Amino acid sequence: MLYYLLLPIASVLLIVLQSVMTDVVFSSRFVFELSLLVTIYAGFRLEFMRGTWLALVVGLAFDCLSGSVPGVGTLIYMVVFWSAFYISDWLDTEKTHIIVTFSFVCVLFKETLVIFFYYLAFEINVLAAAYPVMVIKALIIGLLAPLFFYGMDRTGWLLYEDKV
Amino acid sequence: MFFRKYKIVIFIAVVFFAVLIAIIYNLKVSRDNSFIRKMVMETASPVYGVFSGSLQGIQDAWSRYVLLVGIQEENKKLKNKVNELKANIVSYRESYYEAQRLKKLLAITDHYPYRFTGARVIGREQAALSRTVLINKGSSDGLREGMPVIAYPGLIGRLIDVSWHASRVLLLIDENSNVDAIVQRNRTQGIISGAGSQGMILKYISKTQDVQKGDVVISSGMGGVFPKGWLIGQVIDVDRKAAGLFLKITVAPFVDLSKLEDVLVLSSDEQTLK
Repeated sequence: MLYYLLLPIASVLLIVLQSVMTDVVFSSRFVFELSLLVTIYAGFRLEFMRGTWLALVVGLAFDCLSGSVPGVGTLIYMVVFWSAFYISDWLDTEKTHIIVTFSFVCVLFKETLVIFFYYLAFEINVLAAAYPVMVIKALIIGLLAPLFFYGMDRTGWLLYEDKV
Repeated sequence: MFFRKYKIVIFIAVVFFAVLIAIIYNLKVSRDNSFIRKMVMETASPVYGVFSGSLQGIQDAWSRYVLLVGIQEENKKLKNKVNELKANIVSYRESYYEAQRLKKLLAITDHYPYRFTGARVIGREQAALSRTVLINKGSSDGLREGMPVIAYPGLIGRLIDVSWHASRVLLLIDENSNVDAIVQRNRTQGIISGAGSQGMILKYISKTQDVQKGDVVISSGMGGVFPKGWLIGQVIDVDRKAAGLFLKITVAPFVDLSKLEDVLVLSSDEQTLK
């Protein structure tokens, strides 16, 4: 219960932290999506309902604070969570290369969906401009993902129960 | 049975479509009126404030640190520059003073028909009874013992020891120095003897002679060592009450012998030049 009560606050804190990190570390060149890594981590480690709620709330917080159309981020985060959840049954998600590859693919997938959505909804095509940044971002997040997973494995046991 | 079997799939489908509907709704309706967005922003704003404040503090501290490091570096460079400029100033000042001294010496050479050899003082003898200086010219430059040595504005002594590249000058204030001199004003003749720290004593002047404080003493030209008419010193004290037949006249040299740096040696006399 405490988990569901703290989740919205923690999600807002996460997005704010992500925003600050983006400003400080990456000088706002691109968003360092810690929230996406949290969602992937939840897909690998959390049980279904907790993870779904987490993806929903984190996605919603991201939408609200990033200024995008509410629901787009939420939907993508949930799809990422569900994908990670089902992949974790098939692959050994403890392995570093799985974490790196999956995180890399998820970032590319998320960015592509966002671009596709904006193209459908507003007829704005930013693929050509966003593509190089998108790949660099996916690489950075993919490479930092094992570090994040290691840290969460060490400290994040308070937030979840082992997936059954 | 159906719902139980596919409950997760149904849950996913319901959530998926709910979110999709929300997206479509948000696209149709103005997004800024979203209640959830307002709630989230209200929650996030104080957190942003805290983070921004902390971040600003860190950035300020970092900026100050970088600035201080820059200032320290600049300060170091400026100090080095100041030291360099000070050294330059000292060098220029030294050159200026040297030029002034040499100019005065050159003025002497212009006024007298002698051959002068310029020399630099390279050492001083600090013994109590001996007042001599060492110069950097010797017999290889044409110097010989007994040659008069001058510095602006008058005589300072004569050469007593001459080696190939250095010579010793016996100063007028040395106890062993004796020069035939006259008082310029009344042409009274006497002998100037060195008196060490007291300066010089003009000897053998009768008490009947009118010698006063401030009178200028010049070389007489007798004896064949010093040419006539060169400034020696100025009378600073005349003791008429001293025992004996003669006055006790104390003379101060015109040249400050403690600050000698450049001198001229009269390496040939007027007659030789002719």
